Amino acid sequence: MNNAHSLKLILKKTGPRSILFSIVLGSQAPAFAELQSLDDGQLSEVDGAGIGLVLDNFTFSHGTDQPDQNGEQARVFKISGIKSTDGRDVDITVNHLYIAGADSNYGQNLSPVNLGRLMNPWRIDVVDGDDVGIPNKAILEFAAPTKLAPTAGFDCNGGSAVAGSGACSSRPATSTWRGERADIGFQMNVAVGNDRSSNLNFHARSAVIDGSYIRLWGDDERKQMAGEFRFNLYSPEVSINACSLDGVTCGSRITMTDFALELAIGNKYQPIFFDVDASGNFLLEVGTIAAPASGQIAANGLRDGSDAGTWDFYNDYYSNPEYRSNLHIGNFSVGSKDFGPARMEGMLIQHLKIQTQDLAQ
Amino acid sequence: MIQSPLSLSAFLNRSLCLLALPLCAAAEMAPLADDVLSDVSGQGGIYLSGDVSINELGGPIENSYFGRCDDVTKKCGARLAYRLKDTGGWMVLDELRGSFAFEGLTLGMRTIDSGFAGDGELFNGDVLEFGLPNTVRFDDVRFKIAASNTPRPTDPGFQQTDIFSVEMQGSVIMEGNLLVFPAGNP
Repeated sequence: MNNAHSLKLILKKTGPRSILFSIVLGSQAPAFAELQSLDDGQLSEVDGAGIGLVLDNFTFSHGTDQPDQNGEQARVFKISGIKSTDGRDVDITVNHLYIAGADSNYGQNLSPVNLGRLMNPWRIDVVDGDDVGIPNKAILEFAAPTKLAPTAGFDCNGGSAVAGSGACSSRPATSTWRGERADIGFQMNVAVGNDRSSNLNFHARSAVIDGSYIRLWGDDERKQMAGEFRFNLYSPEVSINACSLDGVTCGSRITMTDFALELAIGNKYQPIFFDVDASGNFLLEVGTIAAPASGQIAANGLRDGSDAGTWDFYNDYYSNPEYRSNLHIGNFSVGSKDFGPARMEGMLIQHLKIQTQDLAQ
Repeated sequence: MIQSPLSLSAFLNRSLCLLALPLCAAAEMAPLADDVLSDVSGQGGIYLSGDVSINELGGPIENSYFGRCDDVTKKCGARLAYRLKDTGGWMVLDELRGSFAFEGLTLGMRTIDSGFAGDGELFNGDVLEFGLPNTVRFDDVRFKIAASNTPRPTDPGFQQTDIFSVEMQGSVIMEGNLLVFPAGNP
């Protein structure tokens, strides 16, 4: 009864139009009130499906091998803007850059390749930091196909590896499948003023970069973009040689067989920080490790007698292979001379600071 | 002419009725389940040819004042600046200009349930497929990577260090298909 009474009152005061307005507006208003902001912690719990990318039947080739009839290079891919110490312009001309299928004969016969597998694609994703050791952060991740358990995939270096021989998910080419390992290469030369160097050729056969990723997030304390970068490159043969500009005469080929590079820059204790300083110079820094909360380590270095948390922290830092960079070369040869294998293992960057400096200033 | 209150009221009522109509229509919509949606098969796709110019040759006018890309005191091309740290300097993609043309970029849906050396059968789903255009022609495409202390060149005390510049010209062979699909665990 009360309701009817008040409705009647309003009708008297404002007329039917306003009532209709308030009903129409009122029915929509609650929807706006539902929006709420998410804090960093809540956002880090968000685990949406990422985007998977696969390049199917793919070939990429850019640059010129031959000048046209006027002697002009019809295609140009040039990096410039650098000056030599005596003030001459330096330019790097990339004559040829290719990504193609296996057995391309150093970029001569380009055939298609697949990059990424449907079941293990390239990914762009926002991942929960709690899962990758960076607590309470939402992390933007660009990742190549992941690695598998050591015997669940294919040997990373084997150009003809079979299933169960290694940890790489990308498969080498077979007679029936083009595979997911690409021949990658480029030819470039450097000119300082009018002096142009010989062509430098770089080729990697059947290359795999499985397990590589870039992770980016915001560091609250420094109010800065922080990152973690891992780059793996496996190839049965990486070669470098120099040829004259006309390509007729070439020097000895430096060949590195069973090449495996695992480069880790930045980790959860020491992210990479990117910055530009007040004078407009680029700054890249891997900070020194933040010490854990105070705790004693026993004189003999064992966990017994040490503060468990502190010991675990240092144990992880010193022994976790994820933080370390490695380079393995099965055989290093120049021309027909073999120099045998080379290994560089367990390199850990403890502090790195790179700053560009404009010499013109 | 002054409108009478009656006609205003009638007009408002009519308008409000019209506003109310879409609300009724919305009630008719029903969500499609994932398995129903997976049976939807679109016809064909899109075929695109493009010719994109960004500040090529300084734009439509080139005289002693406008569009002088060779005048170092004037800025030519697009500029994108982004900051990586609170109170820090700016990373800059500067003087982006040139044009690129492509013919035959296709866009469509594709159901994959076979092929890919056994992966297709396991995947058994739909992907968005971009058919790459085979060749992309770059005409004097240039850009510069730089670092500066203020976002715009017109800001007071502006200082910029050019790190390097890139120039691209000619045809690039880009063959194949880019497949895009959801991945991970939603």
